[in-house]
Amino acid sequence: MNKSEVFFDGFWHNNAIFAQLLGMCPLLGVTTSAENGFWMGAATVLVLLGSNLVVSLVRGVIPKNVRIPAYITIIAAFVTIVGMAMNAWMHEMYLVLGLFIPLIVVNCAILGRAEAFASKNSISDSLVDAIAVGAGFTLALVLLGGVRELFGQGEIFGMSVFGDSYPDMLMFILPPGAFIALGFILAGVNLINRKLKARAKQQAQLLQMQAVQAEAVEVGS
Amino acid sequence: MKIDREQIQMVVALFVVAVIAATLLGLTNIFTRGPIAQAEKEALHRALTQVLPAHANDAQNDMFQVGEEKQAIRVYPGMDKTGHISGFAWEVAAPDGYAGTIRILVGVDPDGNIHAIRVTSHKETPGLGDGIVNDTGWLAAFVEQDLESRKWNVKKDGGDFDQFTGATITPRAVVKAVKGALGFFNTNRELMFAAAAEDKIGDKVGGQP
Repeated sequence: MNKSEVFFDGFWHNNAIFAQLLGMCPLLGVTTSAENGFWMGAATVLVLLGSNLVVSLVRGVIPKNVRIPAYITIIAAFVTIVGMAMNAWMHEMYLVLGLFIPLIVVNCAILGRAEAFASKNSISDSLVDAIAVGAGFTLALVLLGGVRELFGQGEIFGMSVFGDSYPDMLMFILPPGAFIALGFILAGVNLINRKLKARAKQQAQLLQMQAVQAEAVEVGS
Repeated sequence: MKIDREQIQMVVALFVVAVIAATLLGLTNIFTRGPIAQAEKEALHRALTQVLPAHANDAQNDMFQVGEEKQAIRVYPGMDKTGHISGFAWEVAAPDGYAGTIRILVGVDPDGNIHAIRVTSHKETPGLGDGIVNDTGWLAAFVEQDLESRKWNVKKDGGDFDQFTGATITPRAVVKAVKGALGFFNTNRELMFAAAAEDKIGDKVGGQP
């Protein structure tokens, strides 16, 4: 696979949320606003970069039988480092995200990338994969956070959209709203994927027809 | 017992990974310790500025402790330029919030009237219970009140304080904790004035932790 294939596979086709439905805990837990979602995504990107880099670095060195505990130790170390750094330099956001930062350790999307990708691929590919998967995860978090903030409070990134008279739809801020909004987002993603597939099929047919015509012309001449 | 090469490899690999992880964490701790303490101090400073009546001193510097060793409460006194006490602030915990403990910074003037309260940490439901942070009207209901001037309960329990739509437990816990804070001031009033006065002449009673 070349780099752009790696990227689009991690970002869209195998998106941790849209395609694999991994990492539901941070997804549903922190996305009461787009901003929370964004910073949770950013923290996850940093952890993914660190863990993918190190796991790719030590691939072949770690015996197969103990690879999972080794990966988890690496991931936990990076999560703690990111948590400490956020506590130091982004104190307020750290307080908001709170418990969900240490819980990145058990985000199976991250262990999944270490096991399924970084342990089998080169360092540069693993870094591209980390950025792609992290960006895809962040996209999902911001999208869900944005939808919930928009309908729940009439705001996007803290800026008023619907005006002061908007009656806050509390349900979208509460956990049930997270599931409902996620359901609609997944339906939208499936719709887009179906369109993409149909278009790809059309193009393939077009190419086939052209090939047949070209052949016919060749035979004719 | 025969130990084969593979087993030793496993132990060594895990050991090396653990050592490297521990080293990285130790280094990060050294680098972030200072900034974290600084950030916490700044957050407390912002809250203190909001809850203490006008003061000229560094309330965190003049902090003293009241009570027994383990349950000692840190009291931050506010003083004007002449060393006259303008008020006190301290943190109380409401253990009976809807989702865990709510911590509230309560500021009073020398007569024991509340100057302002601010929630410093909580895990209440966004959109429901977190009105205790965002609802300025609700917070304003505490201003200038003392133990006698209000019935310290939410309206549902026959008191004077509003509950929120869909959230009664959270404001109930806060009201109860603030009431407790006022009781604390009444019992420790003399002690606090004495401790703050000692601070004034430079003899720190509690000092920095």
